[in-house]
Amino acid sequence: MNTTYDCAMRRQVMSLPQLLNEQYADLEPKIRTVLSFQEIYSCQRIILTGCGDSWAAAMAMKPAFEQLTGLKTEAIPALELSRFTPEKLLKGSAYSPLVIVVSNSGGAARLAEAVLRCNRYGAFTLAITGKPESPLGIHAKRILPLEVPRFESAPGTRSYMVALLALFLLAIRMGEVRARYTMDAAGAYRRELKGLGQKLESSLPQMDEAVRQIAASWKDFPAFDYIGAGSDYATAWYGHAKMLEATGRYAMHINSEEWFHLNCFIKEIEQLGTIVVAHTENAGLSRTKEMLAAAVRMGRKLMVVTDGTAEELGIEAPCIQVPKTDSPYAAPLMLFVPLCLLAADLMAMLGEKQCRGQEGPWEFCKGAAGLKNSEIIVV
Amino acid sequence: MLKKFELQTGYNEVINITDQVKEAVQESGVKSGLCLVFNPHTTASMTVTSFWDPMGFEDLQDEICRLIPTKVDFKHQHDTPQDAAGHVKSSLMGVELCFIVEDGKLLLGGSQGIFFLEFDGPRKRKYYVKVIEG
Repeated sequence: MNTTYDCAMRRQVMSLPQLLNEQYADLEPKIRTVLSFQEIYSCQRIILTGCGDSWAAAMAMKPAFEQLTGLKTEAIPALELSRFTPEKLLKGSAYSPLVIVVSNSGGAARLAEAVLRCNRYGAFTLAITGKPESPLGIHAKRILPLEVPRFESAPGTRSYMVALLALFLLAIRMGEVRARYTMDAAGAYRRELKGLGQKLESSLPQMDEAVRQIAASWKDFPAFDYIGAGSDYATAWYGHAKMLEATGRYAMHINSEEWFHLNCFIKEIEQLGTIVVAHTENAGLSRTKEMLAAAVRMGRKLMVVTDGTAEELGIEAPCIQVPKTDSPYAAPLMLFVPLCLLAADLMAMLGEKQCRGQEGPWEFCKGAAGLKNSEIIVV
Repeated sequence: MLKKFELQTGYNEVINITDQVKEAVQESGVKSGLCLVFNPHTTASMTVTSFWDPMGFEDLQDEICRLIPTKVDFKHQHDTPQDAAGHVKSSLMGVELCFIVEDGKLLLGGSQGIFFLEFDGPRKRKYYVKVIEG
């Protein structure tokens, strides 16, 4: 295990296997009772929303909700849902649409605003939050309480994993109750989640070492490009967010298709870290492989996060291998880990403070004031 | 003698287990006694019915479902509506059957078969056969 560099974010990453085990035990029984049979059967449409990490979690778990529940599912950013989504899309029957909002702190004004607006037009709002007393918790019609043990403050790593886990368990539950698959099949999904902590624990040292070597060679890079398709894009989005929070360096996110339209034209590629998320069962993998081949030909500095191998992807580039999951919907719970390690290693190597210490020009961010202190307008 | 059998069921399947039970009786060597057939599940049952027309199995499940429909307002919500209905069906139908063994054979009527009733599925299931002399 790498101990040359350390920081709170790295320690958060190292705590993930244990947290995964603990949180599974906490969340599984809660999720069985958070929605009744009637509520699950009444639901005809699902909206997942969030901002920051919770937006990434919503995007990452959208395919799980779509496929497991069989219901039309949209992931809508909090601002879009608050101000732009047409009213008619928020109206429905008693428990539909189901609007699911994840936020451990529950403090972001835009999320509370989104919930207030959805309530106004008749949607059924479910908040997954660690603070039932927060604005989000107060306004949501139903709460799934999170109990994420406190840890040293760092760019959100533990809370992201819990958000993914809670959403996936909820999708499994809704599909099970709606008889989309048998209880045994639901049990198999759950058993896999129960064992993921152990899988992660055994592969963390190898991931850590591989990422550390890349981080050491990328220490002076001013910019990073994160790429993926579908739920891998959600993971890439999350990775870029961590890089910004941890190091303050420029970070971009783009999907594998749009990369050919835009980000492939970035100059000074010898100083650009290109991070590609490529799950082997991703429906967009062929395009991601084309993107990777192009990036290799260009001489881009690559870090590929995958459950496969460089041979499987048909490239010669450093691959950080995460454990394979039986269900592709569980993959985001593994793929985000190397991205956290990269941001954490660079943060430690550079001696950076999280979110610039919220000092000087960033003082307005103190105590997440930039997220909390915003005028709530329900339109 | 106790014998365990394993089954892979389908959704709401009715499975004929008559031959296995008869074999268990024969293997036991008991000439006169009782044969108990028991399933250790809470969403499955055992019954005796006619084996002649397989459509009769569908009638059986249809009528059980008509009497105990799968609905969303069961108070037991730990698993699924189908599971909750299955518990009620299983309780009402019972999980065991008792037969007379005479001359080393099951004393069954000409049209009678022994059936495992699945109220969920597909599931891996099992049942036991105990033959007692006396």
